[in-house]
Amino acid sequence: MKNPLLILCLFLLPLLLGGCFDQKELEEQAFIVSIGVDNTNQKGVFRFTFQIANPEVGNSASGTSANEPTQEVISVLGTDFLTATNAANATVAKQISLNQSRILIVSEKLARSTDFIYLMQSAPSTVDIKLNAQLVVSKEDAEKYIRHNKPQLESRPHKYYQYMLDRAKETGIIPDAPIVRYFQITEGDADLFIAPYTTTEEENPKFGEEDHYKAGEIPVNGKNQTQFMGSAVFKEGQMIGTLTGEETRFCLMFDSTLTQKDIIASYTDPVKPEFQVAGRLEINNVDVNVNYLKDKQSTIDVYVNYSLNVYAIPSTVNYMKNTEKQRLLEKSINKQIGERADNFIKKTQEEYRAQPFYWSLHVRSKFLNIPEYEKADWMNKVYPNAKVNIHLELRGLEFGKIMRESEIKEVRD
Amino acid sequence: MFPWQKNKTEAIEKRKVRKISRNMKDNVAYIEEQYSFGVNFDFESRSLQGPAAKYHLFFYTTTVSTKQLNDDIIKPLLASKKPIPIDRIVTVSSLNSIKNMDDVEKGLNIGSVIIFQDGVAEGFEASIPDFKHRAIEKADNERTVKGPKDSFTESVTTNISMIRKKMPSKDLIVESIDVGVRPVDPVSLVYTRDLVNEKVLENIRNRIKKITVDNIRNVEVLEQFLEERPRSLFPTLLYTERPDNAANYVSEGFVVIMMDNSSSCLIAPMTIWGFFHSPEDIYLRWAFGNFSRIVRAMAYLITLFISAAYIAITNYHSQLVPIDLLLAIAASRERVPLPITFEVLLMEVAFELIREAGVRIPTPLGPTIGIVGALILGQAAVEANIVSPIVVILVALSGLSSFTAANYSINHTLRISRFLFIIAASFFGVLSLLGAITIWLTYVVSLNSFGVSYFSPATPHTKSSDGTYFRKLLKNVKWRPGYLKPKDMDKQ
Amino acid sequence: MELLKKPLRARELVAIVFMIIGLKGGDTTPALFADEAQNALWLSPIISFLVILPPFLTLMYLLKKYKTKNLAELIKHLLGTRVGTILGILLFISAFISMATDMRNIVEEINYLYFPDSPTTVIYAAFLFICLYVANKGLDTIGSLAWAILPVIAVTILSVMFVDLQDSVWQRLFPIFGSGASVVIKDGISLSSVFLEFFLLTIMYQAFQDTRKFRIGIGIGGILSAMLIVSFYAVYTMVFDYNTIDNIAYLYQESTEVIPLGHFFTNISTIFMVGWLFSNFLRFAIFLYIVCWLYGALFQIKRFKGLLVPIGFLAMIISLIPPNFIVNELMVRKTSLHWISPIYLCFPFILWAASYWKERRKQ
Repeated sequence: MKNPLLILCLFLLPLLLGGCFDQKELEEQAFIVSIGVDNTNQKGVFRFTFQIANPEVGNSASGTSANEPTQEVISVLGTDFLTATNAANATVAKQISLNQSRILIVSEKLARSTDFIYLMQSAPSTVDIKLNAQLVVSKEDAEKYIRHNKPQLESRPHKYYQYMLDRAKETGIIPDAPIVRYFQITEGDADLFIAPYTTTEEENPKFGEEDHYKAGEIPVNGKNQTQFMGSAVFKEGQMIGTLTGEETRFCLMFDSTLTQKDIIASYTDPVKPEFQVAGRLEINNVDVNVNYLKDKQSTIDVYVNYSLNVYAIPSTVNYMKNTEKQRLLEKSINKQIGERADNFIKKTQEEYRAQPFYWSLHVRSKFLNIPEYEKADWMNKVYPNAKVNIHLELRGLEFGKIMRESEIKEVRD
Repeated sequence: MFPWQKNKTEAIEKRKVRKISRNMKDNVAYIEEQYSFGVNFDFESRSLQGPAAKYHLFFYTTTVSTKQLNDDIIKPLLASKKPIPIDRIVTVSSLNSIKNMDDVEKGLNIGSVIIFQDGVAEGFEASIPDFKHRAIEKADNERTVKGPKDSFTESVTTNISMIRKKMPSKDLIVESIDVGVRPVDPVSLVYTRDLVNEKVLENIRNRIKKITVDNIRNVEVLEQFLEERPRSLFPTLLYTERPDNAANYVSEGFVVIMMDNSSSCLIAPMTIWGFFHSPEDIYLRWAFGNFSRIVRAMAYLITLFISAAYIAITNYHSQLVPIDLLLAIAASRERVPLPITFEVLLMEVAFELIREAGVRIPTPLGPTIGIVGALILGQAAVEANIVSPIVVILVALSGLSSFTAANYSINHTLRISRFLFIIAASFFGVLSLLGAITIWLTYVVSLNSFGVSYFSPATPHTKSSDGTYFRKLLKNVKWRPGYLKPKDMDKQ
Repeated sequence: MELLKKPLRARELVAIVFMIIGLKGGDTTPALFADEAQNALWLSPIISFLVILPPFLTLMYLLKKYKTKNLAELIKHLLGTRVGTILGILLFISAFISMATDMRNIVEEINYLYFPDSPTTVIYAAFLFICLYVANKGLDTIGSLAWAILPVIAVTILSVMFVDLQDSVWQRLFPIFGSGASVVIKDGISLSSVFLEFFLLTIMYQAFQDTRKFRIGIGIGGILSAMLIVSFYAVYTMVFDYNTIDNIAYLYQESTEVIPLGHFFTNISTIFMVGWLFSNFLRFAIFLYIVCWLYGALFQIKRFKGLLVPIGFLAMIISLIPPNFIVNELMVRKTSLHWISPIYLCFPFILWAASYWKERRKQ
């Protein structure tokens, strides 16, 4: 008789223990999909905005109420992430869980303030915030940004960020910026960290080449004005400037730690300069060679291999069959990219006096131990004075599926 | 020997002592009294007045073949004109001379006719049994698509004949050991003489001999007496109804245990892998057999862990779930009044009810009740917001998967283990779930069946053909299982 | 009845060694090494292995010479009962302390990362219960279990490697000597007793099919473990940078946490908890078993399994004394390892000297 009783007790135990310790039913949790942080007038106090997903929306299960909003956005004051979630619980009945938040939006104002690094210091010590969430800088206040952002196609708010960031990263107009990278670079104290730059406000839109924009400058007509373009530059954990989409692409191009994605861009047609040639640029390989000379000007050689897939030749110049012209095109594109890159590097050396390409990695092998390396001071002494040579090499040139451009003049006849 | 057994043994001894007397009347009187002639309606005591001598026959009318009795015994006896010995008159194939009353009893029990002749201190036992049993039918519980379809039936002689047919060899030994006392039942051990490990065989014999219970009628009961740990969740003998399976095991050096009245046999010693391997694995082509093994392996994992993992993850580790799935689960749970653990347990119990009912239900009612059960539990429970659809899917999946088990004995193991894991998972999520799995595995590994480690040949490792997880090409199967220590390892 | 006597072979020992030593790649030990060596934390264990190699080989040589003895018997045989027991107690105490601190670290890790709201004691008790149950089943079962679970752990390790390598940058290994070659060497030597289990395992010398199997097993297991530890530490460096790595306590979990697999599986670190927990249950079951065995062998307690529960609970209570993980890891563990290292590095040579002296006297 002893045994059945024992088994029965065992079966009953979990019922008694239900709700103990860390057990948390799913429906008792509110899942935050994005966190926004702004600074307030008071130092050390921030305004946290939480965007909470409503699980019932977009669900086909029977009996769900259709009229609930897709999300709830609440803003509270707090000194760090944990206190803010507690404060938010004053209005939200469910326990707030930051686990699933994939994006941390910081207003430009906060990012530029000295408070920012103190706020970020509290992030990794909480279990909740995942260090692989993306850090994004918004031009306006993060709260405003989250409230304004009204994706039209995605019924679940997290999807929008997910797709948007993925797609924009693929095209190279914004960088991949997980929080952990922020820490790595800030603590490494030798490079610049760049984070995606975004806004919901349109501001002096103009048409330019497809990547010479920053967020907010792209002329888009549509209901949702949200734009992800360009990046915010952080030096020593604090934002110091913004980069355009093109500059961001150079950052990605020269950084060997980031996966190289294809870039769609257009370049001036060398034969008929009034036209442009559009194509997809694929970076195959980046090699950075630092020739470190103590107390002298160091040289940095960057070797970039890329291949180009030309999509459109509006000038109808026949590059496909003419190797001569191909060589011309190659040279011209090399020159165009090289010039822009040189300009950008000059800008980083003079304006930021540091580089966002993570090149400090390549100088490390020149030192035997960390104290020596830190003494050399890559960020302040070596890089700003170094000579940077960019070597571009076109490895493959393809022209898509068309054999030759049609002769528009003849068509016109 | 326990004191309470003394009386029974004494009775047997007495019977053995009593010799058959020259005086037929004495014998007849003794047997008629012993067998309650007159009360026992199917016990026949018949005297025959032949031309040369007087005979007396005893038999159970229900266990002997009447035709044979008439044609081969009574007719010749009545026809014989000279007083020659019975064994030269009777024309049945199996005729033994008997000397004492114990043999009389044994003979009567196995369907023989006992023949006495007046003035001869010797009886004859003519074996013409006609016990009724089912014909050989299709294997119902262990079905295969490819492979032989016959199954054992409730007659040990038929069963052995089926094995003999599959393994015609003089090395195939069928040994009989008696078990029990009222009545004595024979247990047949079938093995290959030049393969089986003597220690294992001796162990099995000893365990059978040590059984002190009054009677054991079939292998299903015998199984529980033979096992080292009768309370354990894990069977240590393979219970199979397929003669081909039994023959395969015998030819590997295993011992098959059979009894009359059982349409299955036991195979010993058995490791855990034996329960997961289906005979069809070998009949199918290499790729197909392995594919079905992979599917089954997946099914075992699903049936054991999916509900428990669901509880652990949703209750304790929701950060693991991708947000889309998480929101979907949260949405489906929004209106469910029960905690997840309850919800899963409720559905699992309900599923067990359907299954139990499905086994017990009279066949004509089966389909109706099945539909009602499925409807109530699946559709209506979800519509009424008692359970969430995801839980229904999980429980159905785990229930379905438990039926892929290649052997019925392990089916219960899987089902009960699943409940243990579900309960474990509700304590501390993955920590307690993995703890329970560790303890469970430790227990499995520590078991042994007739001296063979339950987890071999995986561990402790022994030489074998590595057919544990995946089967090999048959031409590469070179060794018999080494954990059995067979007399001949080499298969080719 | 057992058909096989002493079923354990080399492969079971490989699994045991792998569990008890190799898994130091996934606990808090890297944080211990990274504390001073920074990004050269992967070099320190190499030094440690090199340092413990001579004493270990000496011990193996002695065991081979005195064929029928295990560690405790050898010590007593060579040093006499009294001195031998004293040395044995020293070994026991250091192993016990090392086990207790390690166990606390693991429990803290589980507690902090997965069950932050639960009391440590409850988690500890659950953990200990599981380890005790496994240990209680005896060496044959533990060995078999280790081998049976090894595939799960191997898959976990390989997938962690795969995931971590997605986000690792090999240039982060430089500057190669971290915060200085001298720091690395000093750390490597003073913390070499992190791997004291190598010496303790020799108590099983007689428990295998034959002693050759033991030597093969511990050799292969040791090499595999060393490779695993060094490569894991190197991967940690490559994932985090030298300034970040000494801030992170639980490198194994954090390294998997920062890396998403596509955008569907974003938080995968809990998946890798499966193999990790399995191995830690086993690791401490083995550790407990060995420590009890040593104690039993020292005081002639044949049925030392009865000691498992008292020793386990003692370890739990003692290890709960430090107020938090940081104190436990960086102060208690580090200091104790500094003290333990010389004992373990020296005692094989003492044994060897005793053996040499004994032989001289015989002649």
